[in-house]
Amino acid sequence: MSEIALENLGKSFGDFTALADMNLTIANGEFMALLGPSGCGKSTTMNMIAGMLRPSSGTIKFNGLDVVDVPMAKRGVGFVFQNYAIFTHMSVRENLAYGLRAQGVRAGEMTKRVQAFAELLQLEPMLDRPAAGLSVNILQRLAIGRSAILEPAIFLLDEPLSNVDAAFRAVMRSELKSLQGQFGQTMVYVTHDQLEAMTMADRIAVMDHGKLLQVGTPLEIYNNPADTFVARFIGAPGMNILNGRLTQQADTVAVDLPGLGSVALPPALQAAAARLTTPDVLVGFRPEQINAAKAGLTMHVGFVERIGARTIVHMEQGAASAKAVLLSEVETPKARKDWTFAVPDDAIRLLDPVTGQALVGRPN
Amino acid sequence: MQRSIAFEAFRYAVILGIVAISLVPTLWMISMAFKPIAEWSAAGADLTWWPRNPTLDNFRFIFGQSSTELIVALERTAGRPIFASLLTASVGTLIAMTAGTAAAYGLSRFGQGGNLPLALIQLRLFPPMAVMIPVMIMWSFLGLIDNWFGLSLIYGIVTLPFAFWLMKTFFDDMPREIEDAALVEGCTRWRVFLRITLPMMRPALASSALFVFILNWSDYLIALLLTTRDWATIPVYMASLSSSMTGQLYGAKAALGVIAAVPPIIMGIAIQKHLVRGLTFGALKE
Ligand SMILES: Nc1ncnc2c1ncn2[C@@H]1O[C@H](COP(=O)(O)OP(=O)(O)OP(=O)(O)O)[C@@H](O)[C@H]1O
Ligand SMILES: [Mg+2]
Repeated sequence: MSEIALENLGKSFGDFTALADMNLTIANGEFMALLGPSGCGKSTTMNMIAGMLRPSSGTIKFNGLDVVDVPMAKRGVGFVFQNYAIFTHMSVRENLAYGLRAQGVRAGEMTKRVQAFAELLQLEPMLDRPAAGLSVNILQRLAIGRSAILEPAIFLLDEPLSNVDAAFRAVMRSELKSLQGQFGQTMVYVTHDQLEAMTMADRIAVMDHGKLLQVGTPLEIYNNPADTFVARFIGAPGMNILNGRLTQQADTVAVDLPGLGSVALPPALQAAAARLTTPDVLVGFRPEQINAAKAGLTMHVGFVERIGARTIVHMEQGAASAKAVLLSEVETPKARKDWTFAVPDDAIRLLDPVTGQALVGRPN
Repeated sequence: MQRSIAFEAFRYAVILGIVAISLVPTLWMISMAFKPIAEWSAAGADLTWWPRNPTLDNFRFIFGQSSTELIVALERTAGRPIFASLLTASVGTLIAMTAGTAAAYGLSRFGQGGNLPLALIQLRLFPPMAVMIPVMIMWSFLGLIDNWFGLSLIYGIVTLPFAFWLMKTFFDDMPREIEDAALVEGCTRWRVFLRITLPMMRPALASSALFVFILNWSDYLIALLLTTRDWATIPVYMASLSSSMTGQLYGAKAALGVIAAVPPIIMGIAIQKHLVRGLTFGALKE
């Protein structure tokens, strides 16, 4: 079992910096998700951990040992690729056995392991079929099985479910999670699907443009995003972020949202707000935390989307726009009318309008 | 889109024209191969599309059996040139494919040999005739004239650019992840190349090899210059099929042509299932 430490890790392709100064420690047996939009450097990071790419700067340590010079065959990692990388000229059985054979596992042991993993991943009925004709779902299962069968201490998965259909994705999410529970590998899982990251990971590392923006448990990241990017990226829809002005009211500080009304700040954020040099501030709150109210903020409702149990209310006021997510059974606002709602004090987040960083009021 | 009938008619006329132009010479050769001397040497109104009295005399003749009508003594029979062609074209193909595949893999995967593509293309920048005289002198100096390895070697060299360029495009198209997956599972580079890459490239290897073989098989010029008699190939031998008495022995040439068409056709059929374009590997991207 292994701990992975990335220290000041960076990678450039010519003039282009794909990853800059990444520091991340993944604990032994942890399920870490790398989450970020396309092109943010997730695969680059993974390929360096696996040894397919050489870092331009920084180091990678497994259990405290620098592995940058260790060739990929010797690192003992399992890797599942986004596009499967199945050996199509072989049968399912040969694919499963391939790594074992390369590592010189004895024939008897090999047959046993192949059988066990075929059962585990429900590949038994097609063991002797050629891999070339299999469906996308089964190919991905096979790709996972082919890596998992080597029982690597470190298991790297690069968007393994992005090509499979939605129903199968849900099945595989729980299967992967239980696979990890069973073998206790250190798992690094790349995805741009926040639902996957949220449901499976112990911790999530959010990346954008080659930078690591925040690391934390799914709830930490959801509740206390480190900056505007994370705030908007996490959640569906993401956090509402509106321009506001701090105003002194008696001995407390409130935030005035022009045209909407004003919100009180929770005590924890009062001190943080006081440190700002200008009164301008960004106010963030989750669409799910909005409730209809008699008094509070008022916005014009553009349109209302009903998605089964939930209803999304799209609102605007001047240049500001925001969304609310309500349960469909409560009374929902009418389109093209003004609507007044309240945001609970402790749902309010403040962010610096210049740097985009969250103002930390209350530590997690 | 709605096309006019006139356009469709024109389209089919063009297609038929092209098919006719490419098929007529072949059909004429086949027909002539089975005509007796009286028919293949006929002219004007006596010419017919199909042999009136089909015969295998032409085939018998080139294998040394003279007929009553054609009393020409052949210096050599076709057996030896057929063997020479088969051997030199095959060995030449083997040389070109081995070197070309290795070079293409190195360049495609490791970026080794950066100026190799241009160096190889310059081999084809001028007509072969321009360099054949120096090559002849070199080959004669090395004792490579009129033997099978001398001819095979030059075939391998001349077709190397084709083998290289074809294989390079195929390697470039093969997703790296497939090899990386095997490497990460603990395989050595060599093992990956032999057990994963080459087997998955079988269609590419087959189509490139067929192409290179046909180039070697149909060569006339090089064989003419680098062989004298023992290792004369089919095209060289074919040119010699004439006599002072009868002039060009068209029937015999046609018969030899029919025989010469057989190996490429057999190879083509054998690897047909690999010739389907668009190699599909284990990967589906996007
Ligand atoms: N070999 C390379 N040469 C040049 N640029 C590269 C190379 N590999 C990756 N890049 C660039 O580095 C950036 C990060 O790539 P990377 O593959 O890590 O993104 P990603 O986060 O995995 O995205 P995706 O979700 O699309 O897979 C991209 O802009 C990509 O174009
Ligand atoms: Mg990627």
